[in-house]
Amino acid sequence: MSQQLFEAMTQSVIEGEVEEAERLAQLVLAEGIDPLEAINRGFIVGLDQVGEQFGCGNLFLPDMVQAAEAMKTAVAILEPEIARRGVTRQILGKIVIGTVEGDIHDIGKTLVATMLAASGFEVHDLGVNVPIAKLIQKAVEVEADIIAVSALLTTTMVKQKALIGELEARDLHSRLKVMIGGAPVTPAWAESIGADGYSEDAISAVALAKRLVGA
Amino acid sequence: MDLGLQIDRETQRVRFPPVMVEAALKQAPAHFTLCARNPKLDLPLDGRHGYLSLDGSAPNVLDLDSGEARPSGKADLAAAVRLADAMPQIAFLWPTLSAGDCPAHVQPLHELEVLLTQSSKHVQAMTAVDPLNARGTLEMAAAVVGGREALRRRPIISNFQCSVSPLAYDEGALEAALIFAEAGIPTGFVVMTIGCGTAPATLAGNAAQANAEVLAGLTLLQLFYPGTPTFYGFCPTMLELRRGGVTCGGPEDFWLQAAGCQMARFYGIPASIGTFATGAKSSDWQAGVDNGISGAVSQFCGADMMSGAGLLNGARLFSFEQLLLDCEIYDILRTLNTEVVMDAESLALDVIDAVGPQGHFLAAKHTRRHMRAVWQPALMDRTPWDEWVKLGRPGALDRAKEQVRQLLATHQPDPLQAERLQEIVAAYERM
Repeated sequence: MSQQLFEAMTQSVIEGEVEEAERLAQLVLAEGIDPLEAINRGFIVGLDQVGEQFGCGNLFLPDMVQAAEAMKTAVAILEPEIARRGVTRQILGKIVIGTVEGDIHDIGKTLVATMLAASGFEVHDLGVNVPIAKLIQKAVEVEADIIAVSALLTTTMVKQKALIGELEARDLHSRLKVMIGGAPVTPAWAESIGADGYSEDAISAVALAKRLVGA
Repeated sequence: MDLGLQIDRETQRVRFPPVMVEAALKQAPAHFTLCARNPKLDLPLDGRHGYLSLDGSAPNVLDLDSGEARPSGKADLAAAVRLADAMPQIAFLWPTLSAGDCPAHVQPLHELEVLLTQSSKHVQAMTAVDPLNARGTLEMAAAVVGGREALRRRPIISNFQCSVSPLAYDEGALEAALIFAEAGIPTGFVVMTIGCGTAPATLAGNAAQANAEVLAGLTLLQLFYPGTPTFYGFCPTMLELRRGGVTCGGPEDFWLQAAGCQMARFYGIPASIGTFATGAKSSDWQAGVDNGISGAVSQFCGADMMSGAGLLNGARLFSFEQLLLDCEIYDILRTLNTEVVMDAESLALDVIDAVGPQGHFLAAKHTRRHMRAVWQPALMDRTPWDEWVKLGRPGALDRAKEQVRQLLATHQPDPLQAERLQEIVAAYERM
């Protein structure tokens, strides 16, 4: 029975069926199945397979995003039970992410957030038009490893620099890495403002984040 | 003030009743003129021209000496605009690259200073997307033409604002649009939907959403300032499905350009169509294919404004050479799109009869009367093979580079005193 259920979980993620993933996660709770096992033998297997196919070029980004959404939905349902049992799910690190203040461009940042979450990071997405103080406050609150900031305009890019300046001033940069992205952002800009990393797209962002946390 | 809009503050949705949209479209003028500092360079938007502009606004420039991409500054923009001033194919200007070395909050004003001083062509101040820079832009343009009323009579600048797809506009951008409209400045709306990302995957859905976003901006503008000259800006593209960028080229983009042209024509409003801006990283085969097809679609579907020339890497990299290459593509298309005269002189039946079987037309007077109208390339290579080998096998890019250097060394735009403009920029910088 359980093996069949795990396979259904895997399949729900591969097909990006959020409602099906949700139904299966509820079933795990109802039947008293170990939620960590459900994630590790069920849902995550699907995500790995999608990741692999995506890597080969057989799947497209929306396949990946929808798989990640199904995964996220299931995990959110199972997490309280995991906590109740006093065990913890292994994560690669914690990331606070947002688009800088004055900039309301969402999609690139959201794509990066989704890919990071799908890759095993705990991601706190603060949305768009996020003040520097709010990014830092959240990062301190959740004890984040990384702050990731996006900017689409050459005129809002400067906020990425201001964030790093503020982290330096508050002596937080040593324990909080900063990764930046957005269409006008370049490696030269990243270097000039003292960012810990830059990536051109969501796929490279995952590799970068893993490198920054030493995973 | 109750405008009759359906507003849901909770979900932040505004719905425009169809009658309101239709009324707004009737208020918007079908034809108007984009004026220039030099009146000889005025651009009547009369549906019979497809004007080419510089593209914008790239954060990087391909350095002319090193051939490497690097962040751009005010001096790079000055060189690019001076070059555009020298090119007759460029009808009006966008700040084609960012003055990234200027204070960010007034960067658009530094860019405007360059646009106004380095060329006497019409300026579309497309980086003025917030109230502060909108006011500064108006003040600077007014200073050039001799006051606000003179500017209203002859707007040497225009502006547009972009939607934030799907279905949103930034508050500051809309405020800027209203500031421009109040001053009588032509103010358009441009959408840059990304199919599969910020718009549906299907072409029909992408076009439908993009159309709604343009109409939302136009309607709002006409509600507040009826009769303001405006334009229908269409620059949709597709998500690059493997890495999440944009395609910037490809059959979907070309189809969407055509859709934008046709919808603008349908509504009777000038069309500003995203054209060229290849996704290619260098001025290569891909750039030629992308921009050749893209330019042809805009030109033959009746775009009034085509934006624009000079950018690579999906509008993120300016190349001086690419600007000239794009101008050559445009030149071919404009020539191709010129009506061919069919009369006795051009049909030349008498000349054909006089030359007769096995003769030639080299010595015919008719040939000398008309041969100067035959299009001549500035960059395309037509040298004989042996000579081409002897010259070191040069390509169009080599010739473009040579011409860029020559034009930058010699071309001088109509002079304009920069001091007053610089004072205004400095005053806004302190705000």
